[in-house]
Amino acid sequence: MEVTAKSEAGKEIFNKQVHYHPQATTCRDTKMLYGAQWKTQYIRDTSLQPRKAKKETIEIALPKGVRTADVTVDLFYELVNPSMKFPIHTVNRKVTLDR
Amino acid sequence: MQALKMAVLFFMMTIPFSSYAEKAATIEEMVKMYDSSSCKECHEEIYMQWEKSHHARPLMGVKGGIFLKGVLSSAFAPKDIKMATKKNFPCFKCHLPQALDAEDSVSAEIAQAVAAGDKAIVSKLQITCIVCHNTKAILHRLQDGKPEKGVLYGSKDISEHGDSSYAQVKKSVIMKESIFCGQCHGLGPNFDAENPYQCATLYGSYIHSYIPSGGAQSCQECHMKDGDHLIAPNWDDPGTARLLSDAISLDVETLGYEWLRAKGDLRPMIVVNTKITHKAGHRIPDG
Repeated sequence: MEVTAKSEAGKEIFNKQVHYHPQATTCRDTKMLYGAQWKTQYIRDTSLQPRKAKKETIEIALPKGVRTADVTVDLFYELVNPSMKFPIHTVNRKVTLDR
Repeated sequence: MQALKMAVLFFMMTIPFSSYAEKAATIEEMVKMYDSSSCKECHEEIYMQWEKSHHARPLMGVKGGIFLKGVLSSAFAPKDIKMATKKNFPCFKCHLPQALDAEDSVSAEIAQAVAAGDKAIVSKLQITCIVCHNTKAILHRLQDGKPEKGVLYGSKDISEHGDSSYAQVKKSVIMKESIFCGQCHGLGPNFDAENPYQCATLYGSYIHSYIPSGGAQSCQECHMKDGDHLIAPNWDDPGTARLLSDAISLDVETLGYEWLRAKGDLRPMIVVNTKITHKAGHRIPDG
């Protein structure tokens, strides 16, 4: 999942990615790796668990002078490498501090 | 008496040869033994679904790659690919179970095809109808015996199955159960090889997370609705994105305000709350 915020001028003022997936090593060192022939044990699992909601709270501190931002939340599935993406949902919100 | 001795001698001599004859010695022989193209004659829709599935290209991975290539540079790599054996390919247990019943010469041939990136050969190596409907169809082997030659196994008995090679269909008690899929869509590390390895852990997630949280559906109820043998997802199909968006929900809430850090120090802030839920009976991602 990627959360981005842009100023009204279109400048990116915030970007954060959150990765949901099990992570494994060979148990011989501390490096995470892919490939069934190498993986031997999960050491961390941030994946989306069945029948459990995954919740995040992301705080975006706005730069000086910015009171309105376009926030985009992109949820996608990455396969094999980061360039191979399957879009799942994109949510756009315009958020302003002015009333 | 002499005739009896000769008969016994002949019988003993023929055992190893007949056993050998049942094992494929080449890829071509193995592919022929597990060929299920005749199934298409009567089960065309199912066959076409299967053809598009990952079961039809279990060594190819996605986007036309050959995932097995990684094994040739791993701890399992043979010193000489021409001498590769089944031990060099723990993946065969699920990705090509028929190779476990073949001679090691088949493994060597596969190793050479994989090393050469020969997609024409590697794409012939498939989890065919026979693998699921015979080889993997019986788990309670102490009670039910091994799968019989010339018999297919399905969700019900069919005494007259119109296929000359598989004239009968017997009921498999596990065909509609999640454990059937769990044979390959795994539990965790495999300890049966000389090095541990870990492929899919989906069934582990199903029995240790989904079931304890009250889930009650089987793999087949979601992935094989109406007998669909595509068994989605198909990562080479753009429709998979739609499948994912149907199964996974994303809720987003935003709040804009000015946070008072200290007297006179108001900081403009946006808070984004996200909530992801999904309908799957296992962790996402897994396989």
